[in-house]
Amino acid sequence: MENALPVPPIEKCAHCYAEIKNDDVYCTNCGYPLQGTEFEQKSFIANLQVIGIDMAEYNKKVRAAANTLYYLSGVFILSGIINFFILKDNADVLAIVIPTFILAMLFLLLGSYCPKKPLACLVSGLALYIIVQVINAFDSPMSLAKGIIIKIFIIGYLIKGIKSAIELEKMKKENNII
Amino acid sequence: MSELSDIETAERQICVKCGALIAKEHRFCKSCGARQSAEKPEESDNKWALFKQVAFFYSIYIGVCGLVSFTHIFNTILLFVSVEVVLAGTAVAFFAYNWAENKKLLVWRNFSWQKLAAYGAIAVAGSFLVHYSVGWLNVTIFSRDEQYYSIFAGTKGAAFYIVFFTAVTPALFEELAFRGYLLQTLLKIADTEQAVYVSAFLFAIIHLSFISLFWLIPFALFIGFVRIKENTFWYGVFFHFCFNLTGCLFAWL
Repeated sequence: MENALPVPPIEKCAHCYAEIKNDDVYCTNCGYPLQGTEFEQKSFIANLQVIGIDMAEYNKKVRAAANTLYYLSGVFILSGIINFFILKDNADVLAIVIPTFILAMLFLLLGSYCPKKPLACLVSGLALYIIVQVINAFDSPMSLAKGIIIKIFIIGYLIKGIKSAIELEKMKKENNII
Repeated sequence: MSELSDIETAERQICVKCGALIAKEHRFCKSCGARQSAEKPEESDNKWALFKQVAFFYSIYIGVCGLVSFTHIFNTILLFVSVEVVLAGTAVAFFAYNWAENKKLLVWRNFSWQKLAAYGAIAVAGSFLVHYSVGWLNVTIFSRDEQYYSIFAGTKGAAFYIVFFTAVTPALFEELAFRGYLLQTLLKIADTEQAVYVSAFLFAIIHLSFISLFWLIPFALFIGFVRIKENTFWYGVFFHFCFNLTGCLFAWL
């Protein structure tokens, strides 16, 4: 019944414009149903859009987590500066301020590499943040309770970011997106 | 992929869904449209579970290392050794949990004296560099080791214990934990590069000294890439051993 309309010779995929052979049923580059019905072709594109929407959602969460790292960097810079002026006359001022600035720098670096290596940066950032909290807790146990709500939010954003980064990598692999 | 190796030729592959013979570079099957993904879907589903396992493992390390570094309750030989046993036991337990897969790391194929000597030399040179730069920074890097010296001071065979606990056990069990279990698990979660970065960073910050990060991160990255390149964890152990032994001799002599 389909031979009423002869299939025209196709050289390029209508969806991704990759070169194809005439007898290919699907595009070998993007999976587009070259010889499928109009419905099949449209649902192929709709499906890709759904994947795109999901990925955009995950990307948003990864960005939020990256912003959390920037926020932490800012907090440590600020506390470093404040501590420096408070302890200016103390002999150990550098021993307290330098680690704070190192932390600020680390969070800044992790935040800025986050778009490139989201999973690595977010896992590192989370581990670093938790270690800082543990160190502070050993120093004075009450420090854990200080700003507990903000701390929970920070950890929540980072964990959500990690989850999304894992999902993103999985989707990229499964859908062959390079 | 491995089960296909006897069927596929250099430029052909078999479609994962319909079994048609298709070109290797094709990302989609030309006759059924199925994606030719390299990864089996069931492997990617448990990445989050693996991540939680890594988090559990790392929490144990944070807890124990925090207790050792910030409290001084482990000041007798018995308590000190028990901490070492807990950390070593954690490393061994997690490593052995996935024994079937991890045991291949313990194989030392292509053993080469030249490589071993080269890695040893790099380690000694690195340790010298760290020692002098740290001396310049006026920071005591082996602060934890100093604790060892006071614990073992006056004991019979103190020298032996110090070398054993600063060079032998860390080299073996830290490698087992971080380049063994941790890196191997991260490789299943992320790509090689990211897995090495994360394992190196986690290894560096567990030492709980932010100033020492400047040498700990390159040190861990180096061992991580050596472990990936050589596909065995023994070169890393030897490197770590040489590095720590040099550092230990510095502090001692």
